[in-house]
Order: sequence, then structure tokens, then C-alpha cells
Amino acid sequence: MVSVDRSPRLDLVFHALAHPARRAIVRQLSLGERNLSELASPLKMTFPAATKHVRVLEGAKLVRRRIVGREHLCRLLPEPLKEAMMWTGSFREHWEARFAVLDSVLDEMAVEAQSRSKRKTP
Amino acid sequence: MTTGLQITTPTDTTIVLTRSFKTTRRFLWEAMTSPDKMKRWMLPPPGLTLAVCEVEPRVGGTLKLAWKSAEADPAMTLHGEWTEFAPHDRMVHTETMTLGTGQPLVSLVETHEFTEAGGATQMRITQTYKSREDRDGALAGGMDEGMEACYRQLDAVVAR
Repeated sequence: MVSVDRSPRLDLVFHALAHPARRAIVRQLSLGERNLSELASPLKMTFPAATKHVRVLEGAKLVRRRIVGREHLCRLLPEPLKEAMMWTGSFREHWEARFAVLDSVLDEMAVEAQSRSKRKTP
Repeated sequence: MTTGLQITTPTDTTIVLTRSFKTTRRFLWEAMTSPDKMKRWMLPPPGLTLAVCEVEPRVGGTLKLAWKSAEADPAMTLHGEWTEFAPHDRMVHTETMTLGTGQPLVSLVETHEFTEAGGATQMRITQTYKSREDRDGALAGGMDEGMEACYRQLDAVVAR
């Protein structure tokens, strides 16, 4: 919970995902390889703007681009996403475990309060 | 019924945890602020045990927690102060985590808000960190040795 583990690679991934257009691109690419204009058109974005976002995703190693003739084909690389999910997952597990114990502490408090009130009113 | 934990990151420096508990605000408040209850639900990081848990639940009151390991006592400490304390409703405290060696880990402000409705109480915890880096570091934390082994394996896969 408190171990401070610096990971420049994950910083890049979280930064790359911190933009709605780039998340939309990731979602599109999760369906398969797409060229740049296929990525740009549903976002109502110009070609250079889409290229800029794809570059950020490439920097985080979330996307690989290959050039075939005049086409720039983009493909999603799943590993950094998996890693990012694992990081947030461990934070969640830690708090879920804490709150599960808290549930039972609260149950005990309710039972104790009940038995106290029973003793008071015979 | 309790509902599941929701975790969101509304800004670059915050984490918001929301969870519903099948209890009253009064009971939940007590469980969150009395040391004998805190000792139970504040599960320590792997390899550590909670050795000190002293809290003065009032505005200006301090929180002092210390964990020990087989190698170090303290292995880690948490010092903080309550800046707001409105029983059964809302509390805010600061906290600074430090390693036993004196190396600072992270400082944050934690706000707890309680809302009771339909026989359940919702608790919303907002953690505000000093930077995005600190916030992401906290999200990255909580990993045990098993997770670290996983990351090493993943590193090997990614490097291939």
C-alpha cells in the first residue's frame, strides 16, 4: 500500500491513457489493426491530430505502427495495459480486504449493541 | 446489502474510494476512529505488523501509527493530524508516511464523508496527494512479493 515504486514506464502508460481521444483509439484498436484515417474519422479529428495521439501511445509502447505503402497501420500492444491494470488491481485488493474486515467488525458491534440493549430491558 | 468498492481518480492528484456498509453512521464512525477497531481493519503491508496505534480524535488531534517487521522497529510510521472532525459526518486528516530509516515515503490529505440512507452508510474517502507521481505511486503500491514476482515475469515477457 505504501511502497513507493517508481516506474517511468507506467508513468508513460498512465499519461497516454489520460486523454479521451487516446482512450478511444485504444478501444478501436482492441478490435484489430486500423490505419490512421480509420482512427481519425470517428473522432472527427484531422490526420495530423490523430497522428499526434498515436505518437503518444507509441511512446508508451501501447501501439505499434507499421507503414505499408502509403498506409500507416496501427496495432495495440496489450502488455503495458495488462501491467497498468495489475497496478490498480493491487490497490483495489488491498482496500477490498480492509473493508471486508471492517464489515465483520461492524457486524460484531451490532451484535454487542443488541445484547447490551437486551440486558438493559429484561 | 453492501455494495462493492468503487475507485476513481477524478483529478491527477486524487483517488476516491466509495463503499457502502450495512450499518449506521455512528457505528462506522466509531470503527474508523477508535484504535481498537482500527487495529483490526487496517491490514498491514505484507511482512509488517501494526505495533503502535494512537489517535486523538478531535480537531488538532494527532494520529500516530507504527509498523514493525522482523528486521526493523519501527519499519514504517504514519504521523498525521485531524484538521476537521464533525462526528458521524465528515473528517479530514493529514498523513505522512516515513520508513523506519527516516526516508519519507508520501504525504497526503484524507477526507472521509459519511452518508446514511436506507439502513446503510456510504463512506467516501478522498485521498489528495502532493503530485501526480505520488498518486500513481500509491496506486502502484499494495503489491506483495507475489505481485512483484508477477511483474518480473511480465518484464521477461515484454523484453522478449
